[in-house]
Amino acid sequence: MSRLTLVCLLAVVWALLLGEPGVRNLVVGLGLGVLIVRLFPRAVGARAAPRGAPDLRATLRRGAGWLAFLGFFLRELTVANVQVALLALRPRPRLNPMIVEVPLRLRGEGLLTLLSASITLMPGTVTVGLSRDRHTLYAHAIGTADAEAARASIVRVEGYLLALDTPLPFPPTGGPA
Amino acid sequence: MDDFQAVRDLPILIGAFFVLTAAIGVVRFPDLYSRLHASSKLVTLGSAGIFLGVAFALNDAAAFTRLAAVLLFQFLTTPLSAYLIAQAAYLRGLPPILGDGQGGGTDEWGALGRADEVAQADREALRVLAEEGLVDEG
Repeated sequence: MSRLTLVCLLAVVWALLLGEPGVRNLVVGLGLGVLIVRLFPRAVGARAAPRGAPDLRATLRRGAGWLAFLGFFLRELTVANVQVALLALRPRPRLNPMIVEVPLRLRGEGLLTLLSASITLMPGTVTVGLSRDRHTLYAHAIGTADAEAARASIVRVEGYLLALDTPLPFPPTGGPA
Repeated sequence: MDDFQAVRDLPILIGAFFVLTAAIGVVRFPDLYSRLHASSKLVTLGSAGIFLGVAFALNDAAAFTRLAAVLLFQFLTTPLSAYLIAQAAYLRGLPPILGDGQGGGTDEWGALGRADEVAQADREALRVLAEEGLVDEG
């Protein structure tokens, strides 16, 4: 994510928190955003915007990818809640708990963070750990038939994120900030 | 019940139902890892429902924008705390209860076998942060 995008995002969050997205609040938010990005460049890991004209096609494709992921996420979140609620209320729930290992194709700290967070809120799985080289994810699963099914649901989430392979505001694994 | 408003009270009821099932799940599930499923997923949607109902009750634009910001942070932070609790438990050697007699039920992480590897990664991460001056070493 470029610094500019991040500053705009921070301004919007600021305006949302104040509850009045007026011009004045957005301007103050932009100021605060610039200050935060300046003060904590490493912590937020924002990059300078890429040189040259922006690739409109790629930007639109990424935007569509984000929307698709958001829709998928909200649907799965609802399914996950109903599923866990049923397990909690059933007289004798079939939890079948296990820890599964999932090899990852996804790279980049930002997207990996998003992946592990989403998995925790999605049906059947909670992230427990990442391997040292960030190439393997470990998740605790309940309510799934077997390890294969648990893995498949994680790979499905990963598929959505692979389509957005632009780093979030974090440096990629091992690379410079 | 003449002051029942579906748009306002339904989200609160649904949210309260999920928060209640979360509490039941936390009590009934067998171990820490299973309980995290209840406390992370159910509380997220449950509180979202309650927030939404409150925003409708206040019926104020500012309430909705704050609701959006609060939900954003909730979606970001709830999984993070679940992740930290799960990993800390695993690294401290709390074995998960596995399977219930049908299919699956394995610990592919290797019965705490790779905990050392993760602990090493954590130390490494701490060292990098210390080098950046973001945390104190030790």
